[in-house]
Amino acid sequence: MSFRIPIGPYHPALEEPYKLELICDGETVSDAVMNVGFNFRGIEYLAERRNYLQGITLVERVCGICSNVHSLSFCQAVEQLNGAEPPERALYIRVILAELERLHSHFLWSGIAAKLIGFKTIFMACFTLREKVMDALSAISGNRVNYGMNRVGGVNRDIADPQAVLNILDEMEQGITKTIIPIFLNDKTVESRCKGVGILSMEHAKAMGAVGPLARASGIGQDMRRAAPYAAYDRFHFNVPVETAGDVQARLVVHALEMIESCGILRQALMHLPEGPIHTTPPTAARFKVPAGTAISRVEAPRGEVLYQVTSNGTDIPERVRVRTPTFMNMATVRFTVLGQELADAPLIQASCDPCYSCTDR
Amino acid sequence: MTTEIVAFEKTLQELGLGDGWKWDKGSWWLTPPEPIDVRATALHMGKLNARFVAITAIELPDKEIRLDYQWDVDGKLLSFVCGTVARQIPTIADLCPAADWVERETHEYFSVEFTGRESTKPLMTRAGDPLGINLHKEAAK
Repeated sequence: MSFRIPIGPYHPALEEPYKLELICDGETVSDAVMNVGFNFRGIEYLAERRNYLQGITLVERVCGICSNVHSLSFCQAVEQLNGAEPPERALYIRVILAELERLHSHFLWSGIAAKLIGFKTIFMACFTLREKVMDALSAISGNRVNYGMNRVGGVNRDIADPQAVLNILDEMEQGITKTIIPIFLNDKTVESRCKGVGILSMEHAKAMGAVGPLARASGIGQDMRRAAPYAAYDRFHFNVPVETAGDVQARLVVHALEMIESCGILRQALMHLPEGPIHTTPPTAARFKVPAGTAISRVEAPRGEVLYQVTSNGTDIPERVRVRTPTFMNMATVRFTVLGQELADAPLIQASCDPCYSCTDR
Repeated sequence: MTTEIVAFEKTLQELGLGDGWKWDKGSWWLTPPEPIDVRATALHMGKLNARFVAITAIELPDKEIRLDYQWDVDGKLLSFVCGTVARQIPTIADLCPAADWVERETHEYFSVEFTGRESTKPLMTRAGDPLGINLHKEAAK
């Protein structure tokens, strides 16, 4: 007998509102229907009715976790239009913020995954480490979220004491290598809950345009930091972890290894932070008017590629602001990952795609 | 960068994507004088193992919609600039499943009809909500 089980839009198994309808034969999921849009705020519409400075603040509210990548992408697109060139120090600071944000997002995801696996000790460990990242972000920007760091032509705040951030980094790196990685890679409980569960084949990942760690856990090795470098990423050495199993365990491994790579990038950027100004200040009129044209910026957010397309008509208000977020592409893959799986595994499987409904709905 | 641009221009020709490509502000652009066959392009991009990235809709003064179809080929972003006719354009969702949500969203925001779809279920809005919620003129009413 077939059952239709609605989960959400508001449900304890979901971190944010969306609706997943699971069609089950007994305890086995035979199909799934997804409904999104419960966080729709019309950000694109609003961005086309505000000036560029207001736009930076607005797009940072697309997401509460990866807020920095939205203002970074938007500013990079506008910089291509008005020709503003951020100084080298600003490019390094942008990388530092982006990697701290990636760590904060990956710790959050790892904690939630651990909770859904039934491993609350690791949930606590992840969130303790996440607090250290939040402390570092707060020390740099003054905020735990919505950092307000990016501006057209650079960044708003300097990193006065890189050594303080390096000290926090040491503690985080220890936690990742001594606690998170051994548990995610070797623990039998984690393996029994994750190995072979919620498989996304490379074929389906490609067909659905999946991006980020989700795609990299299914054997697709693209990372915008490497494929189309921006900010100062072409100055740093780092690996792009790729797994081929496509299951929940592969996603755990990719996330854990990416945290180590982020620490490596942060260390390089903080130790070699160049001297100099943190922004170029264009003349007042140029700050508010952007030459006509279209520019595209792509950034590797914690969940994958973000695309901003900004079209200017020469006034102080953009004609068009297009925001394509990673979860918008990744969410539809949940249908393939839950097919044939146990109903009890569905919450973990959908969470393992690292969904962000705020980003999806905008 | 100039050498890289010239080299990729040649690659685009070798991939059978024609000439007339221009690198500008973050993407390679193709704006041919004749309308682009979006379905043939989607099939071709599939054969090239390209990743579908997005469709970006931009409202034009003549009430038509410009649609930029964006694909990623080995980290290079290709934008095919197309236009609707009577706010219609053929669907590519049957050829490229990744385009399904993007077409549904574009339908809601810009009232573009993607012909050939079995249905265009609401994605961000709810059944019965008005179409074209991002259109400048309609929104101003």
